[in-house]
Amino acid sequence: MRLLVTADIHLGSPIRSVALRNPDLGDRLKQASRDTFAEIIDLAISEQVDALVLAGDIFDNGYPDLKSRAFLIAQLARASEAGVPTVLIRGNHDALLDHKAHGDLGPNIHLLHKGAPTVEIGGTAFHGLSFDAAHVAKSFLPDYPRPVPGKRNVGLMHTSLDGAQGHDPYAPCAERDLMAHGYDLWCLGHIHAPFERLDGSVLAVMPGIPQPRHFGERNGGSVTFVSLSEGAPEFERRAIGYLGFSECALDLRTCSDQQEVLLSLRDAFISAQVPGRDVAVRLHVTSDRHGTELVTELAAEVLDSIDRVFLDKVKSAPPPRKPGAETDDLVRLMQDELAEEGFRQAALQQLEELRLALPSEIMDELDEGGLDALLEEAIAEVSLTLHAGASQ
Amino acid sequence: MRLNRLDLIRYGRFKDAEIAFPKRDEGVSDVTVIFGPNEAGKSTAYHAFLELLFGFKGGAHPYAFRFDRSDLLVGAELDLPGRGALALRRNSKRSQSLLDANDRPINEAILSGALHGLTRDTYEERFSLNEKGLREGGERIAGAQGDLGQLLHAGLSGLTGMAQTLDALAERADKFHKKRGRGNALKTGSDRLKEIGRELRADRLTTERDRNLRHDRDRAAAEFEGVDAELRQAHQRQAASKAAEVWYDRTEEIGQLTEALVDFPDGPELPPGAAERVAGLVEKIAAQTIRIMEAEEEITKQDLIIADNPVDMLAQLLTAELERLDQLTIDGAPLMGRASTARADLARRSEDQEKLSSQIDTVLRLLQVPDAPASTIALEASVLEHLAAAVQECLTASISADAARKAVEAARVQQGDAPAEPQDLTALRAAFDLWKTVADLTALETDQSQALARLTKVTAGLPGSWKELISEGLPTRETLDEVGRNWAALAADLASASNDLDARAAELAEARGDLSAHEAAPDAVDIVITEETRRRRDMVWQQHRGDLTTKTADQFEAAMYADDGTRAHYLTGAEARQRLLAAQSQERTADARHGTAKTRHDDLVTLCDRLSERCSRLALALGLEEDAAPSAFSARQQTLNAAAEAAADHSNAKEALRARLAHQEAARDALIGAARPLGLDPAKGALPTQVQRALTLEDSDRKAWAKWQDGEKTIAKLDSKSEECRTDCETAQGKLDRLTAALPLPDHSLEAIRAALPHLRSLQQLYGEHQKLSARIEALEKAVAALADGAQSLNQILDDPEEEPDIDPVRVIDRARVRVAASMRADEKRAEATSRRDETASLKSRAKTELQAAIGDLDGCFNGQGGQDLAPRDRVAKLVERDRLRADKATADRDRQKARDSVDADLFAEELDRMPDATRAAELEQALKDAQDSRDTARDAQREAARLYREAFEAADRSDLATEQATLLEELRSGARQAAVARFGVLASRGALRRLAAERRSGMLRDVEEAFVTMTAPKWKGVDVWSQAEGEKLVGIQPDGSTVPVEQMSTGTMGQLYFALRLAGYRSFAREPGPLPMILDDIMETFDDTRARAALRLCAGIGTNGQAILFTHHAHLVELARDTIKGVTVVNMPD
Repeated sequence: MRLLVTADIHLGSPIRSVALRNPDLGDRLKQASRDTFAEIIDLAISEQVDALVLAGDIFDNGYPDLKSRAFLIAQLARASEAGVPTVLIRGNHDALLDHKAHGDLGPNIHLLHKGAPTVEIGGTAFHGLSFDAAHVAKSFLPDYPRPVPGKRNVGLMHTSLDGAQGHDPYAPCAERDLMAHGYDLWCLGHIHAPFERLDGSVLAVMPGIPQPRHFGERNGGSVTFVSLSEGAPEFERRAIGYLGFSECALDLRTCSDQQEVLLSLRDAFISAQVPGRDVAVRLHVTSDRHGTELVTELAAEVLDSIDRVFLDKVKSAPPPRKPGAETDDLVRLMQDELAEEGFRQAALQQLEELRLALPSEIMDELDEGGLDALLEEAIAEVSLTLHAGASQ
Repeated sequence: MRLNRLDLIRYGRFKDAEIAFPKRDEGVSDVTVIFGPNEAGKSTAYHAFLELLFGFKGGAHPYAFRFDRSDLLVGAELDLPGRGALALRRNSKRSQSLLDANDRPINEAILSGALHGLTRDTYEERFSLNEKGLREGGERIAGAQGDLGQLLHAGLSGLTGMAQTLDALAERADKFHKKRGRGNALKTGSDRLKEIGRELRADRLTTERDRNLRHDRDRAAAEFEGVDAELRQAHQRQAASKAAEVWYDRTEEIGQLTEALVDFPDGPELPPGAAERVAGLVEKIAAQTIRIMEAEEEITKQDLIIADNPVDMLAQLLTAELERLDQLTIDGAPLMGRASTARADLARRSEDQEKLSSQIDTVLRLLQVPDAPASTIALEASVLEHLAAAVQECLTASISADAARKAVEAARVQQGDAPAEPQDLTALRAAFDLWKTVADLTALETDQSQALARLTKVTAGLPGSWKELISEGLPTRETLDEVGRNWAALAADLASASNDLDARAAELAEARGDLSAHEAAPDAVDIVITEETRRRRDMVWQQHRGDLTTKTADQFEAAMYADDGTRAHYLTGAEARQRLLAAQSQERTADARHGTAKTRHDDLVTLCDRLSERCSRLALALGLEEDAAPSAFSARQQTLNAAAEAAADHSNAKEALRARLAHQEAARDALIGAARPLGLDPAKGALPTQVQRALTLEDSDRKAWAKWQDGEKTIAKLDSKSEECRTDCETAQGKLDRLTAALPLPDHSLEAIRAALPHLRSLQQLYGEHQKLSARIEALEKAVAALADGAQSLNQILDDPEEEPDIDPVRVIDRARVRVAASMRADEKRAEATSRRDETASLKSRAKTELQAAIGDLDGCFNGQGGQDLAPRDRVAKLVERDRLRADKATADRDRQKARDSVDADLFAEELDRMPDATRAAELEQALKDAQDSRDTARDAQREAARLYREAFEAADRSDLATEQATLLEELRSGARQAAVARFGVLASRGALRRLAAERRSGMLRDVEEAFVTMTAPKWKGVDVWSQAEGEKLVGIQPDGSTVPVEQMSTGTMGQLYFALRLAGYRSFAREPGPLPMILDDIMETFDDTRARAALRLCAGIGTNGQAILFTHHAHLVELARDTIKGVTVVNMPD
């Protein structure tokens, strides 16, 4: 039996990157989550898998819309008509999958929940539980059915496992307990970076988010095929999605003029190109004299002539100071200034004033806890801008 | 740091050039002026110095035009603090590019330390200044508005854009957000986000909205069903009413038709189209009658034409004779066409024939056979061509034979005599090659002696038994390493354990001492002792009660006091007991630790003994003393291994030399054996030399022999070819003889035949034309005779008694042709008339038949019908009208039946009862319209509700808005961070600049003032600092004591102030952390002499603190420098 395993589709949740200010890219990617899901269905049909497995978070709480549900049903029906059944569970973002409120999804689409935790397809038993709450502090595992003797057993679970950075704890579950439950395969969701764990003949697959939505999800962009036969399950991770995120470190200190800076930027962007896919690049620049704003402008100029590469963000910083080096008076005195309580009070006041003017969704960007980092960036920015002015 | 010399070894256009900066005596300013015209390489030298200090920059190098980038090399001698003079070099490699004088890489830290960690950029900013920088720096510091901090910072760092930087940062922050500001990015973005939020909320298909839409849709559908049923009912009633009206009207019509049919004839209904058929038949009968009459008239007319054109009996005979004459031809053309010209043509041809005969005679005379008949001399064209070809062939073959013969003769002369044939040296060469491979023994002898020397050296420090040790087998390296490691670890562990044991023993002794002290303390008694003293008191009391003696009383007293004391101590001894308990615990812990340490120490001693025994065995195996330290094992084992390898190498080298000597002997024997048959003898001298010479000459001998043989082959080929040419010549002559044998010519030689060929060609042509003309004249004569015979025959056939017989054949023939043509025309007319007559008779017969058939058909049409007294046309019209009335009646009946059947029977009955009713239709129409309106309204409502429900699902999901929202939030997030950074940057910078002013003013202001006044006197006499609310500001003091803010100074003065600030900054740096060379590139080229002198004095001031290097291409500045700066060094740029 061959399965296509995916999770964390987050239908309707948009991509969050300044790169989408590019009109062409913005237009191409405005339906990215839907287009990617349709591509997954195409893949399931063309690869003639025996079942499509969705391990939760098909929708996104931030964008509850029944149109998304209608879209999901249309796509899964397309798979069903092509002979590919679907097995799915709800994740912590899937209120729209509440079958009691909205009814069944259609023939050959099996939503597993407490009332119907198991379905058998092609001699393989699929087990899964769907919980209604957005936050679940206890493990689901004890409530999962025991494996069906004489059959291959596949589990679907939406879980943060032992914990994952950047993800809320959800139905935490010890990995060793999971692997010892007696199933042959675990199809997991919730953690957006993909991984696979093979313990003897038991495989656990976290397929990752198919379409990364921001730089933090840059490791995503994949689905996983799993083959169940004699012995341990075999897996194959397959790239998917329309936009990838890439990180690029660039040292501009050796550039003697702006032309060389432009060439370095061009080389960096070209090396980030991925055939057949758009890429948003986050640039970490080390320079004595090229501030964030200047590098952003130059990068935009370079990117005009490079296909399918876009700028996510630029972070420019001066190189770390060598021990014993003569510190610039201004930098030294600015650091002294930062240590003054009066200065900190004034800075906090300005920060709060700016923070309160922001839309509530992004107020956390200017939390008081980030003051020190902002002040360090401020010193670097003054130094870079000042030296940039000297070189012009 | 001081630059003593700059070496441009391979850099730019320079090769092995140097610029020296001689050290100055104490008290003399260290200023060097580098003079060179434009393009002399001053910038090159400056960049070379920077690259020496900081390394080459990456990418394409601007000075790699004479030498490749990889070959660029610069050097210098530098005075470095704490190191003195140091020669350094720098190449363009990415790493280890800093070299010493011997091109060995050295640590960059040597230079970076002397440069105080400055980067190339910061060095350039602080320690270089050119005219442009001075001018623009002056303009840019105007933006500081006199701010002392900014000005001093510019002087220290060389960075003049502080004001612009702070303005730019503040502007950046304001662009994003400004309190109560409009049009900034945050305001615009927030407004747009609100709009997007509203649109998204409106478009979002939530569960509640879905429920409401579905409810509206279902309710509208139910309402529509109700009104739709009412409309259907109204339609049915109206239809029933219409059907009843139809029934009523058709019943009336049927009664009227029944009455009308009484006046019409009886009979069955006519078949469809009967009226048209009767009319057609009447027309047909009339037409056939007329056609029969016209046919009879035509037959009479054709009979008359036949009679007017009888048959001509002579025509056939005349035609036959004319055809015979037409068959006669002359020159391939019919004779009749040329009958009139043939006789004239005959005379002309005869004259031409005479002329040709005369020309033939002339040619025969030229051929010297005037009496020979032309037919015997004239040849066929093909024969003549064969003859010409044979003549040409003879000529060609003769020339070829002559050329071939001459080539053979020339080749024989060139070939000369044959050289000696070379001998086969293959065996000799093989033997010599073999001997050469083994001839040289030097390398093997050297190897042997080197191996022996190495063996001697390696075994120098070994005992005499080293060979036995090796043969008995050496311990492995791993074993020795393991033992060494174990020994070292064990020794360290043992030392540590000994120390630990000592420490634990001391700790135990101390703990026991403490315990004893605490135990000895009286208030450390515990409850057990109090119980014991109490028991003792009670026991003594009992004894005293029994005895009541003084002794027992004393004992009781003592026991009572002891008990009281103990209890008193117990009551006050809580802390002491705690201390005692702690001391006991400590003593137990210390004891346990001491025991553990001792056990560990003993174990280690045991291990040490075992390892020591193993070490002894290994030492003996390595030829060392039994008690040798394991640290010596590894070196000894390596030495023994090296000795074993050296011994093996020596043995191998010796064996190789011996084997080579044997090979050499065998190879020499083989060489002698191969040389002797070739006449080479070792007795005649060194055999290898003889062999080498023979082998060297072999190649040239073989080439000469091969060349002579090739020459012989070439001559043989040329001989063969000469013979072939001669044979070809004879063959051609024979062929020519055969061709001319029959010709009656007086001379048959090749030359005579060649000369006669043109005459023979003329004769062949003239004779041919003469023969053709003779044949034509004969044909003409025969044709004229035949024509006359034909004309005579035609006259006899015509034989017209009224006509005189004609003697001109042409006229006779024409007359016969006219007679034949007239006969043919008559035949044609007669035949045509006969044909038409027959055709007309046939038409007449067919018309009669059709007339009879039409009359029969007409009778059939009226079969069984009444009205026989009427003409066919009237009769059929009456019958048709009768049938139409019958059909109308039937139609009316069908219509009323159909109307009744198509509607509801009950409604029909109700409506029929109302008939006739003139207002009923309008009444029902109005009811129907009302129902229709209600139904349309409900339908629209239902469709609208369904549309809203459907469109809610089908609507675009507004991902564009969600994407824009997310992108905008990311932009604002990034912008907010940048704005905060910018604001904090400005805030921190302003504070830092205030601190800078406070920190540096005392140290720098005096230098600034001194430099400024030196440059600008007598216009300015000093500078001062004003304290203002926004900070301290620098002002200039004029001679009259008035002050001028910096921003109000002229541009030139501002530039001089900037120079003063930079000099003060240099002095400050030179004092702490230390001087570095200051590079000034033609900064005085726009100064007048007074100011230039002043500037030069300031440069001298740099030289008193550090080193000043001035580049200039102005000779007068060099002279000014010599006048102004005592002891200044002037150096010309190298060529």
